[in-house]
Amino acid sequence: MAMIEQIGAHTMQGVEDLGRFSRFCSRGLISSFRTLFNPRAYPLIWAQMNAIGVRSVPVIMITGAFVGMVLAIQAYDQLAGMGLEERLGVLINIAVVKELGPVLAAVMLAGRVGGALTAELGTMNVTEQISAVESMGVDPIRYLVAPRMLACLILTPLLIIYADFMGIAGGYLVSVIQLKINSAAYIDYSAQSVELWDILTGAMKGIFFGGAMAIISCYKGFTCREGAQGVGQACTEAFVGSFVCILAINFFYAIVIKSVYTTFWPIKSLL
Amino acid sequence: MHKDVHKDDGIIVVQNVTKQYSGRTVLDNVSLAVEPGKTTVIIGKSGCGKTVMMKHMIVLERPTEGQVFFKGQRIDHQHERDLAEVRRHYGFCFQMGALFDSLTVYENITFPIQQKQKITDWNKMDELVKQKLAMVGMDGFQFYFPASLSGGQQKRVALARAIALNPEVILYDEPTTGLDPVRSDIINELILKLQEALKVTSVVVTHDMKSAYKIADRIVMFHEGRILADGDADYIRNHPNPIVQEFINGQVSESELAPIRMGGTRFETQFHPEDFKPSNPKKQGQATGS
Repeated sequence: MAMIEQIGAHTMQGVEDLGRFSRFCSRGLISSFRTLFNPRAYPLIWAQMNAIGVRSVPVIMITGAFVGMVLAIQAYDQLAGMGLEERLGVLINIAVVKELGPVLAAVMLAGRVGGALTAELGTMNVTEQISAVESMGVDPIRYLVAPRMLACLILTPLLIIYADFMGIAGGYLVSVIQLKINSAAYIDYSAQSVELWDILTGAMKGIFFGGAMAIISCYKGFTCREGAQGVGQACTEAFVGSFVCILAINFFYAIVIKSVYTTFWPIKSLL
Repeated sequence: MHKDVHKDDGIIVVQNVTKQYSGRTVLDNVSLAVEPGKTTVIIGKSGCGKTVMMKHMIVLERPTEGQVFFKGQRIDHQHERDLAEVRRHYGFCFQMGALFDSLTVYENITFPIQQKQKITDWNKMDELVKQKLAMVGMDGFQFYFPASLSGGQQKRVALARAIALNPEVILYDEPTTGLDPVRSDIINELILKLQEALKVTSVVVTHDMKSAYKIADRIVMFHEGRILADGDADYIRNHPNPIVQEFINGQVSESELAPIRMGGTRFETQFHPEDFKPSNPKKQGQATGS
């Protein structure tokens, strides 16, 4: 009996939490949409864009560069064995712009930005600053969540482009300087195989990754328990939640994009 | 103790409010009418529901059952958007100040005004901030960040922020907690001064009896989610209920001291003769392992 009671209690708690999270998401999205058309909120969005986006550029660029460089090192032997080393750029650039650039940039952002958002909002929650906002007749979701969410939605795709660029540059430099691959051939093959579609769909993932990361991090901050341990636990849960969500979104996004691609260009994928 | 209140009996009326968290009752069918222009002090032991009660008055918490009225208008079921308008008539002074630590003192005080209207005349705003800070004796601290202020100074700035929109009601959540006796008295004097100068209605949650006697027109004592005593300072001082007397005199009852004084360790596996009595089938079932 006790076990059934416990399962029931856990299920009800899970459903309640899901309901709360869904409500938070819908309020966050509606508030963000409204904030987008409210010029008085632009300074808030601007400040968040600086904190979230501008300060993340160096770490995102370093991540991108190392991804491109390590791909060149790892893939060279296999391709050189078949005499296809000049096509190394195809492999590196496709992998970087379609998958590794967006996913690793988003994971890096979830750690850097998501953790900071949860810690900041969690501390505000614990010290009653969120209640203070509410008590002054200001919607805390509109004032605190919407600017952060908009900043993440707008800037994650742009940061992914930075990661892509550095990945491509890192791969090129290692291939040409260290592995002595012909530069013109490397660029030529790469240009033939990487399409604008690949770059755009890769970067557009950022909107979903950024949105998921922002809403999960803000939710965890808003609902964190009291004390230093509560804030710490909320940060961990926010990162793990964002990470899993990014990977899951990436999978479903790949299925959708592949279907769209084969619908519009049915023969091209066979070539 | 329970009496019926009507929605027009006070500026804030809490009517038959019950609040439960995960099945645990924190407020149990409480009714209270706050008289306008007076200072009502809510006292009680930690965890008795007094802060929860205060949060219901501004609908930062919504009741499980019952209703809350502000100036005769029901507010507990209102949408957040409509509540925003109602909340502008309130000033809330939080226990730890709850100043926004990323903003300066100046920005903290202008925050509620900026959210209400677009500020065009910044000279006028400078004057207003100066005036509000002067009222709490903190003029000159405009460009300090909260982290560089002491606990008492933070509470005074929080008070200045609470009166920024000239509220009709100021709610104080444990305003003297964590302060030394001198700083506590400064806060008490400020509450009295604001009461006289602004003619506001004040509700103060505290367990500092010295402060309660000094500022209260009316003292309401909470115990286990219910109102135990309600009257002026003299009434509370002479209340015959031992729980009230223990609280106001800061004495602990013998029953509460018993676990501290008890020696040795009681093992939970130990059986008692009453566990085996047929009149207690549940315990008997447990004892026989069924």
